[in-house]
Amino acid sequence: MLYRLALRNIWRNRRRTLLTLSAMIVSSALLILCLGVFSGMLRDLLATATEQYYGHLVISARGYQDDRDLFRYFSDRESLSFLSHTDVILGTSPRLRNFGLLSHRQDSAPAEVLGILPEREKKVTGLQDALVAGTYLSANDHDGVVLGSGLARRLGVAPGAQLVFVTQAADGSIGNDLLTVRGVFRTGDAGHDNSLALVPLIWLQNILTLPGQLHEIAVRTNQPLNAAVLAERFRKRLPDSLEILDWGQMLPEMREVVASYDVSRMIIVTILYIATGLGILNTFFMSVMERTREFGVLKALGMKPGQIRWMVFLETLFMGCLALVCGVVVGVALSLYMARFGIDLSGTLTPITYAGGTILPRLYAVIEPANIIIPAACLLFVSLLAGFFPARRAARMQPIDAIRED
Amino acid sequence: MMPKVICCFAVILVVLSSHLPLRAEMPELSELIRRVEQQYSGQSSIATVTMTVVTGHWERHLTMESWSLGRERFLIRILAPAKEKGVATLKVENEVWNFLPRVDRVIRIPPSMMGGAWMGSHITNDDLVKANHIDQDYLFTLLDEDTTEWTILGQPKPDAPVVWGKIIYVVLKDHLIPRQIDYFDEEDVLVRRILFSDVQTIGDRTVPLKMTVLPLEKPEERTVMHYQALEFDVDLKSDFFSLAQLKRRH
Repeated sequence: MLYRLALRNIWRNRRRTLLTLSAMIVSSALLILCLGVFSGMLRDLLATATEQYYGHLVISARGYQDDRDLFRYFSDRESLSFLSHTDVILGTSPRLRNFGLLSHRQDSAPAEVLGILPEREKKVTGLQDALVAGTYLSANDHDGVVLGSGLARRLGVAPGAQLVFVTQAADGSIGNDLLTVRGVFRTGDAGHDNSLALVPLIWLQNILTLPGQLHEIAVRTNQPLNAAVLAERFRKRLPDSLEILDWGQMLPEMREVVASYDVSRMIIVTILYIATGLGILNTFFMSVMERTREFGVLKALGMKPGQIRWMVFLETLFMGCLALVCGVVVGVALSLYMARFGIDLSGTLTPITYAGGTILPRLYAVIEPANIIIPAACLLFVSLLAGFFPARRAARMQPIDAIRED
Repeated sequence: MMPKVICCFAVILVVLSSHLPLRAEMPELSELIRRVEQQYSGQSSIATVTMTVVTGHWERHLTMESWSLGRERFLIRILAPAKEKGVATLKVENEVWNFLPRVDRVIRIPPSMMGGAWMGSHITNDDLVKANHIDQDYLFTLLDEDTTEWTILGQPKPDAPVVWGKIIYVVLKDHLIPRQIDYFDEEDVLVRRILFSDVQTIGDRTVPLKMTVLPLEKPEERTVMHYQALEFDVDLKSDFFSLAQLKRRH
């Protein structure tokens, strides 16, 4: 009976209901969009650091990441198959690294040369999307190189040019061979653009006389902000000689940036919640307040205070749920649009490289469940609270006072 | 003008010091250091050298042939092992080039790589370029002296482009040859020691044929250069030290 009454009450005064609903839909949708854009900025910052070079997790011989010593390598036959049986892992890329001299005619430059398997590296880093000339390495390329734009400029090379790489191999001999430039990338991070070169893994293993050996396996997960927890989970299954580091351990500055970013985001988000919450509270409160007389009549007809409270609760619950469904749909739609197209600000802003990551000049959203569920739950709670107080007040009043109230 | 003044000054010094025994036979310090640093090159030289490099991870033996002219030009080429045969280094004034026969390319060593190892040894490219200027870039003082040797401290001149913070030479009075050279970094930490041994007389010169380079922060590592054949004052022209000669294979 209360059920039907509550529903009928909602539709009785359409204007009031629509006003309340639209207030809630608009505020929840904007809140969801806003959180999505915040997450997008954080994702950009983190992604430029991890998804252009490091990966979210890195497995390497114990101590390798401290000094990148050539001799701290491990065999690609290590039993790491558990990595491929986990759904949180999007890709793993075996790598061998060396620092040597790249040379073209009269020009030479020191470079960090990273031996990779192109098809697997693509699943971990996104350098293939940062190409400004030529192509990425293909799967069966045996002597190609893709290098940073600054390095290419210093050597005066474009795709098609031949480079010589010279280094000291692991047996002490002078390793040297020719490479053909396939592509040039530009990430915005000067460090990588000026020194990084990607070559086929097998090629580098041959030069260094380290066949079948690796320096690290970079891992991309679908939960970058959760990388430390994932690292802990995999740590137990690694052989003793290997270690796993998450991006927070490799880039401690970045971890601090993320932490300080989280704090400032929390402050802004709290203000947003309070602002939207007050708006909803106000609309719901007023819509229940103006029915004090009606509740007085119901009470005079014999309705118990508990039943009135329950009825109002059901009304606000129905409306809250309806509004949130609509609000979430609109919010997600707006976020999807921002995720897909975004707003380019490169006309007015330049990218800022900071703590190893780059803040890109764009507004762009990512959709995370937490950015939808938390605002929805909070706003529903606020609306129920907004209905509860005036309902309780009305339920407590003497019928005669309630009826007389204007 | 200047040389005359210095000459006069030197004469006065010699006259003054002639009262002190022992001191009289000592040449000017920077001249002495110049002789020490150029003991293997002379006016010109041809040599066959074996180089043994030992590190914690590998040990290798190279046989090389080298040519030098004055202090600014030298060429050195690997004869063995077969894998690296023909790899060569040419130094002309402040430039260093390497030739890589496997890829048939000449590579100029950029300034940023001058501190890098030369041929995988504990000798850097900078050693090749700057060693010949040590007598010009440093100021020398006599630290100690006994009946057989001098201990000489070299400190960089204020604006000299140097690698070391301090160098200490121990030079044998007999034949004016070095016994030991210690290299200190800017923090005054002893980082490298070179020991000389196997003293032999070649023509009218007496030189230590064996040179051992010890990087002191890695006690297990060393580079030993041993001259197998050494010939001084040979007929070499400066145009011998060319990129074309660098690329010649034997």
